[in-house]
Amino acid sequence: MKETHRLICGIDVGSTTCKYVLSSSTGDILAQAYERHNTKQAEKVLEFLTQLEREHGFTPRRDRLFFTGSGSGLIAPLVGGRVVQEVVAVAAAVERLHPAVFFVSEIGGEDMKTIFFKGNGQAKNKQVLMQSACSGGTGTFIEKTARKLQIPLEQLSQMRYEGYTLHKISSKCGIFAEADANTLVKAGVPVQEIIASLFEAVVYQNLATLTKGNTPMPEVLLLGGPNMFFVGLQEAWRHHLTKLWAERNISLPAGKAPEDLIHVPDDALYYAARGCVEVGLGEPEDVAVYQGTARLRWWLEEGQYEQKKKEGRKGLWVTLDELQQFKARYNGHLRRVLPQARTSSSLGRVIVGCDFGSTTAKAVCLSPEEELLFSCYALSKGNPIEDAKALFRQLKEAIGDGEILALAITGYGKDLLKDIVGADCAVVETVAHATAGLHFFPDADCICDVGGVDVKIMILKNGTVSDFRLNSQCSSGNGAFLQGVAERFNIPLTEIADKAFQARAMPQLTMGCGVFLQSDIVNQQRKGWQAEEILAGLCAILPLNVWIYAGGLSNLAQVGKKFILQGGTHKNLAVVKSQVDFIKSKVPDAEIVVHPYSGEAGAIGAALVAIDWWKRGGRTRFRGFEVIERLTYKTTTSLETVCHWCPVNCQRTFIDVEIPGGKGRPWSKVPLSEGWERVIVNNSCPKGLVEDLNEMKVIKEELEKTKHAYPNIGEMVRKKAFRRSAA
Amino acid sequence: MPIPILERWFVRRPSVDRPPEKDRSHIRVGIPRVLNMWSTHQFWIGFLKALGIQYIVFSSETSEEQYREFGKGRGTVDCCYPVKCMSGHYGELIFGQKKKIDILLSPMIYSLPSFLRGHVVDTVACPRVMAAPENIKSGFLKEGDVFAQQGITYVSPFVSLGQPYLVPKQLYQSLKDVLDLDEEETREAVKAGYEALERFNRKMRAQSRQILTWCAQENRPCIMVLARPYHMDSGIGHEIEVNVQTHGYPILWVQYFPIDDDLMDWLFGQEIRAGRIRSAFDISDVWTSSYSSNTNEILWGAKVAARCPWITCVIRLSSYECGMDQPTYTPTQKIVEATGTLYFKFGDLDATKPTGSIKIREETIVHYVEKYSHQIIRRKRALLPEPCPLL
Repeated sequence: MKETHRLICGIDVGSTTCKYVLSSSTGDILAQAYERHNTKQAEKVLEFLTQLEREHGFTPRRDRLFFTGSGSGLIAPLVGGRVVQEVVAVAAAVERLHPAVFFVSEIGGEDMKTIFFKGNGQAKNKQVLMQSACSGGTGTFIEKTARKLQIPLEQLSQMRYEGYTLHKISSKCGIFAEADANTLVKAGVPVQEIIASLFEAVVYQNLATLTKGNTPMPEVLLLGGPNMFFVGLQEAWRHHLTKLWAERNISLPAGKAPEDLIHVPDDALYYAARGCVEVGLGEPEDVAVYQGTARLRWWLEEGQYEQKKKEGRKGLWVTLDELQQFKARYNGHLRRVLPQARTSSSLGRVIVGCDFGSTTAKAVCLSPEEELLFSCYALSKGNPIEDAKALFRQLKEAIGDGEILALAITGYGKDLLKDIVGADCAVVETVAHATAGLHFFPDADCICDVGGVDVKIMILKNGTVSDFRLNSQCSSGNGAFLQGVAERFNIPLTEIADKAFQARAMPQLTMGCGVFLQSDIVNQQRKGWQAEEILAGLCAILPLNVWIYAGGLSNLAQVGKKFILQGGTHKNLAVVKSQVDFIKSKVPDAEIVVHPYSGEAGAIGAALVAIDWWKRGGRTRFRGFEVIERLTYKTTTSLETVCHWCPVNCQRTFIDVEIPGGKGRPWSKVPLSEGWERVIVNNSCPKGLVEDLNEMKVIKEELEKTKHAYPNIGEMVRKKAFRRSAA
Repeated sequence: MPIPILERWFVRRPSVDRPPEKDRSHIRVGIPRVLNMWSTHQFWIGFLKALGIQYIVFSSETSEEQYREFGKGRGTVDCCYPVKCMSGHYGELIFGQKKKIDILLSPMIYSLPSFLRGHVVDTVACPRVMAAPENIKSGFLKEGDVFAQQGITYVSPFVSLGQPYLVPKQLYQSLKDVLDLDEEETREAVKAGYEALERFNRKMRAQSRQILTWCAQENRPCIMVLARPYHMDSGIGHEIEVNVQTHGYPILWVQYFPIDDDLMDWLFGQEIRAGRIRSAFDISDVWTSSYSSNTNEILWGAKVAARCPWITCVIRLSSYECGMDQPTYTPTQKIVEATGTLYFKFGDLDATKPTGSIKIREETIVHYVEKYSHQIIRRKRALLPEPCPLL
């Protein structure tokens, strides 16, 4: 008698919410509920269980409890429950409730899954595809962008898909989608269209990566929070599936419109929990018997902290002695400050290298004997002409009545400014860095430059850059992220290293996607890890993200033995320490140095290239300080200067500079007469540096001429080999 | 002096002397422009034309749009992008033609004709590439026969193009029902196919020789691409070499390097006479397990690039996780760099053009080519005997 009253409860501990379903031993649903847990998964489960005991008579050592979801592995054993794999649970619920369904999409906060059912009745089998390593196509992807656009969740849930113009949004990474959305906003695209495009991106990402040769057959079930809450997402699914069915001539059940074959059940949220109950009903009765909340309470109060210590790895150092040795060796590298202006009035004859970056402009002066004499910098004001003036004013003061023998520029602004200042060499960044690196460390094999927003790896062979990896596609591994987290903890940039070295243990963070790393950090905080420990964990994970995830180099030994670390992020000694430990773990006899003039490396390299040029007989065409100081220019920002290469339509500014010998632009919509040169700024991508179709034509004609004069056998094959009359 | 372009080679001429007996002019054949089709194109055109087939259509070059529009989740699990993208090509041939095709011809090419044949162990194709049609086909059969639904006959002859004597029988048996062939005309058509391919290759080599002659006379550098033939596809190789070409450097591809006796003797004669290698096409000194055709040619290309003075720079292209390329990375680089020739590798290529880094790498390459070419030419020239057949 007692047996028939045994209850079964299914609890789904997801990444953002907890759900439970309570059932009788015959499978009748008695109660269900869901709540957001705000990363407090265990607390929420405890609250649920307390409520279940009090209001529904859920009884320890009599009733049974099954868990599923990302947080279930930790919690289930504490209360006697058993874990059911999520997909198994969802599939069980679907099979029970919707025998006619053959395709299920479940989109979660941080993952997405598809289930394909094949066959019927007993022969029914399923294929499951899921991904959880990247934020593309998940709920976080939508919500993160919507938050940026300041759209409240309630409003987001009611926004539509049908009828809006769609724009291209990267479906691959949440952080880039955000950037895409940002540029769309700047361009004045209505938020409704942006959100509709987001829904499009999510459905596309799901269909592209999670079908693997299967056609989603009717009927279809859409599950998970985002599918349920976002009406627009449902519309996007309906649109795409209906189109797909029509294209593939899928015969639909008679009398049903395609829309009727796509279901979003009202209680979609509960399917995983409901599935737990279904699975539980088929399990022997002595399995998963609820043991009460005592151990869960203990874990919340004490156990998790003990666990944390066990789980985490040691800090960034093993013994204090080792840390001292490290600091003794590497502190020196950073302390070498570049000489500022000398007190004497003149530097004599110098070679100047300038690095016009996106945030600062730097310059160095070298003697013909390659001795470093002077350095200066100016913060960028967004107008390269003004930046150049500011830099050259400082140079003039330092050089005094000395002489500039040669001038080279590198960095983002090199092509814009080369003719305007009369530079002798425009040096690409890689060459500048490699030249500077090899100057100080002639046997270097690799330069690893970790900046604020990108990661550059240069592999050197025979005095050249034989391979180059640039990662600006994925947010993983760059310094901005580390800085962002430090700011959230109110730790100044300069103190990150000291804080991180204080940690005696640190959490093991996961390599990869920055979006998930953020939520991983929240989880670690929940486990009780402190700010400095989390920062240490971040420093420790950085090399993996730099070399393996962003650089795609898992075999460091192949790269070589001598590594130069440079770029702003390597000013942080804790990062340097974990880089050194990481590289040595891969290449035991590696030698790792920090570039002594990390920030000026680009300018120094450019100057060295210019020295080489000068020594081979080059005579400078530097226009002189007076000319630069007196440069007159006019700026135009109008409808005519808007960029039309893509729908973003950047409002660019044309800066026209009067320069003897300027070529002018007679074909332009903003015509420029001879004696003038144009510099284009405020474009958000390199395409915008080309004015419009007219200029493209001019450039293309030139290119075609060159291509015709210098043939490419591969291109001839492309053009001729597949013609019927080629041979 | 400009480089002469052999424009006039592309004149129409009948590929066989007498017209075929059976009228096949109504048959429309579609061929995916993928993989080893990039080195055997003209064989197939010559073969089909000789059988009287007028309408031969190739899918367009690979692109993400093609995969999006026509591949649509039919992709099968394969990390090799040049194989994976093939479902887009199939889809385009099936659904994207104004006039429907009757036959989708997707050969499984087991071995390849190669100028290295006879000097190497074998010239077989990458097994994954050979089997690609089987792999991709399954995506179109999984839920019903898409070919049948569209009224298209799918044929995938297994063919050993490296062993011409086997080919008539292989093509006869696999195509006799579809094209109503007899053995004799198949043999004739195969012969026409080989001739067409040979003509094309000869002309391309002649053009390459024109380029080299110009380089020698003007003392100017050129660039050699070491890659698999399908990297010529703008969606696979992403036209990376074009970026350097536009700075004024002619581009050679190893597949069409001139193999004239005088040139070969100039480059390799000393080593042959010293007994180090058996012939100009012997690569056993650097690569003993020389059974893979494309790999052999890349290794041979590395040797040529290391020796030929005006090739001052090599651009190596390789697709993501290519198991055939993997063991060749170090040897090709070491061979090329042994004479101070510049070497730049673009690895892990996949569907997306790496635009972010390509501009920077292009400028990097151009900088070093400009800086070092004259030294390299002088140094390499000194290693070779006089006179130079190009001058």
